[in-house]
Amino acid sequence: MEQISPTATARGSSKSTATGSSLEAAGSVTKRLSQELMNLMLTSPPGISAFPKSEANLFEWAGTIEGATGTIYSGLTFKISITFPPNYPYVAPTIKFDTPCYHPNVDIVGGAICLDILQDKWSAVYSVQTILLSLQSLLGEPNNASPLNPDAANLWDKPDEYKTQLMKHYRPISDDA
Amino acid sequence: MATSTLCNQVAEKWQRSFAKLNREKEGITGLLEFTRAWLTASDQLRPRDKSGLAVKPPYDKTKLRECFEIIRSCNLHAVFLDDYLDAVGRHLPAITSDIEFYMKMYEVHITYPLPTFASWLRLIQREPKVEHIAMLINIAARWQRAWAPLPEMGASAISAFTCTFQTHLYSILPPSFTEGFRDLIAATFDFKSIESAPDWLPLRFPCTPGVPRPDFTLWIVMQELGLIERYETLILSVCYERIEKHISETCGKVWDRQVLQEMRDWMSREVVTWLTMPYARDARSAEHAAMLMKGVGSRLDYHVCKTLADLRTLEIFDIIIDYPDSRPALDDLKECLQRVDQRSQLVQSLRKANRRRLLHPGADTKLILTQYVSIIRCLRIIDPQGVLLFKVADPIRRYLRDRPDTIRCIVASLVGDGESGESGDSLVDENEPIQPINQTQLEDYTDPNWEPEPIDAGPGNDIISTLISIYDSQELFVKELQILLAQRLLAIKDGNFDRERRNIEILKIRFGEAALQVCEVMLRDMTDSKRMDQHIQQQTASDLHPTVISRHFWPPLQTNTFTMSGQFRKIQEDYANEFHVFKPDKKLVWMSHLGSINLEVELDDRTVEAEVPPLEAALIELFSEQDEWTVADLIVNVGSIERSNAVKALTTWVELGVLKEDSPDHYRLLKTAEEASTRATARQPAVAVEELPPVVTVQQQQAEQMRVFWMYIEGMLKNLGQLPLDRIQQMLKFAPNYDRNIDQLAAFMEAARREGLVTVTNGLWKLQSK
Repeated sequence: MEQISPTATARGSSKSTATGSSLEAAGSVTKRLSQELMNLMLTSPPGISAFPKSEANLFEWAGTIEGATGTIYSGLTFKISITFPPNYPYVAPTIKFDTPCYHPNVDIVGGAICLDILQDKWSAVYSVQTILLSLQSLLGEPNNASPLNPDAANLWDKPDEYKTQLMKHYRPISDDA
Repeated sequence: MATSTLCNQVAEKWQRSFAKLNREKEGITGLLEFTRAWLTASDQLRPRDKSGLAVKPPYDKTKLRECFEIIRSCNLHAVFLDDYLDAVGRHLPAITSDIEFYMKMYEVHITYPLPTFASWLRLIQREPKVEHIAMLINIAARWQRAWAPLPEMGASAISAFTCTFQTHLYSILPPSFTEGFRDLIAATFDFKSIESAPDWLPLRFPCTPGVPRPDFTLWIVMQELGLIERYETLILSVCYERIEKHISETCGKVWDRQVLQEMRDWMSREVVTWLTMPYARDARSAEHAAMLMKGVGSRLDYHVCKTLADLRTLEIFDIIIDYPDSRPALDDLKECLQRVDQRSQLVQSLRKANRRRLLHPGADTKLILTQYVSIIRCLRIIDPQGVLLFKVADPIRRYLRDRPDTIRCIVASLVGDGESGESGDSLVDENEPIQPINQTQLEDYTDPNWEPEPIDAGPGNDIISTLISIYDSQELFVKELQILLAQRLLAIKDGNFDRERRNIEILKIRFGEAALQVCEVMLRDMTDSKRMDQHIQQQTASDLHPTVISRHFWPPLQTNTFTMSGQFRKIQEDYANEFHVFKPDKKLVWMSHLGSINLEVELDDRTVEAEVPPLEAALIELFSEQDEWTVADLIVNVGSIERSNAVKALTTWVELGVLKEDSPDHYRLLKTAEEASTRATARQPAVAVEELPPVVTVQQQQAEQMRVFWMYIEGMLKNLGQLPLDRIQQMLKFAPNYDRNIDQLAAFMEAARREGLVTVTNGLWKLQSK
């Protein structure tokens, strides 16, 4: 074990999923997450934001996505939960909507998201920031080919009806969140 | 029956008494003899009124002794004594009237309505009145002597009489007597010789020749009346007052010599000599006197110390200001404090004075530091263990911690900053050995003289360590030091860094090598630059002598970089190319706003020589392209500079008579000198003095850090909704280098609330919704 460099350990653990992760790897994940948090805080891109839910656990984050202006989601704010696996960034984080989101690629009940980069297209070079940006653009440009919410996919071309449905499900964020 | 028994009993008693008085003499001769003896004796002893005051009727000693013998043999002397003391009591009104008379005489002097200022003055001089008190004492003593039982009656009779008489006497003395007696005692201080004694003294209390003082008899009389014992505390309090008066008159604000010994000498000369009167009149020799006086003497010595300590405690703040001239006063105080326990008063007094006179916004930080250092030095003299210092220093340190420029002041004095170093007013004592900071000395328990440190003692360090320990970490100091060093290095023009190197070496001893590594790099940059410049000059001579600094090791320099114009830029570019050849892997980034330029401005009729900051040079260079410029155009040409800086630079040239502000914001080159400005140009060579190079100060750095923390706070509040303060504090540990405590955070959040960025309800903070 001593002969293996930290990077090698990290790589090894990524292949053998969560079971092989050593303390060393957990440390480097924490470091990576801290780094990502710092980047996110310092650049503070418009409309997206995220922060760890508690000081004790850096693997559970809460995020906020505002619908981009010019899209049907403009003016709406959605809360999401981000859960990082122990072998992040070699495995994509799990993300779900906490605010009900009427969207072709979002499960209206569970909040699960169907986005390629969160599944098979995931790469370790992605970061929280890129995920959030992707989600923000996903809101305006759904992938109607593989819908999780077929109703929404069908309604997409009728903005008025779509908006009605969207607002029916939408819950504005309250302080008690 | 009963009557006859009673008669028998009475008869028996009568017989027994008769036998006792008749002493088995023939017939009733014994009884007659006894009666005669009783009458003679009681007539002899009977207290007489005024008429009998002067002389007692002559009596036959042997006869009288016989009389007493007879009374005693009848076992009736106790009854006789009681009878006699009763008689004394009956005659007391005679004394009472005398005492009332003299007391009235005395009181008249106080309460008599005084019509003129002159007599009011006499009231102040209480001298005449004490005479009446002395008279009163005199007369009382004469009564006592006149009524005293004869020595033939034995010692017990005399003491019984004295006790009765004095009890009566004290009971009739009015309360004002105490005051009068005190005055009399105080007055006797001045009765050192016959000349200084008032006329009444030898008259009323004649002394035999050879007594040490003219008031000798007076004291004997007082002793006779038991006044000395009764008023002992009063006599001592007179002494105390005397001492207090003398010390406050002679020692106040006298700090340049030790006065304690002086005061002790004075006391043994003046007070103790006087005290021999009440306490050691009968001393047979000096040693005997010393022995008798021992108790009272040490009480007085204590009082001298206490009074002096009180005085110095009141003056302590000014004494510290006067340090080191006031060193003797401190030595005095130290000695006094060893005798009397007034340390807590000293601490109180000094803390109060500090609060009132030092720790307020009107005081300069440097001044506070100087006084603090003086306090350290002074209290160390008084109390080498540092207990006092520890107690006094705390408020000062807390106050200094809140002052924004404290670190700067300390650091400036650490490196012997020009102004303080040369005036000799440096906080750092040159002679003090330089010690590494935070090196706790391990206690040597094998040392046989080891003593535990006092329980309330603080850390005993050298002065610089004490100053630095105001703050929790030295990091701040090192940072400030870097900034200061950067400013000083950049300001050096002659390439002589010896002084800075020396400072750094000294500081290394204090802070350790590691902490000052960055400073070391900065110094090396300077010398490297010099060498590199020499090399490049050999290749291509250039007028430019840059300092190449390693950005990572220098404190952030303010970056309002502008581009140099014309020939200056050419020089820069040429140099940069040469540098690139010399060090291919490095690239120069110019900090055009730093440094200075020596230039000559050639005009039609004159040449102006000046040493100016680069911005001035850049601007005047532009005037070689065209003669008239507006400020706005100039700014466009040199790039990012503030308008005010540009105007300032242009003003320099206006003052030098090179430019003229024709209309606001509109400058014109004076190709030929104008009348008014020729005089200005006459002052050659003009030097436009630049302030210290603009290095980002620690405060600015902290503000920048706070901005980062704010982004984190914003991020968490946005995503987590409302949070209590302690949660925010804990969450901020995600932020890099977060080192604030919760109070600082609270203050910061409060500031943010005032800015309208957040709101708070029930202790929960949340972002102000937009």
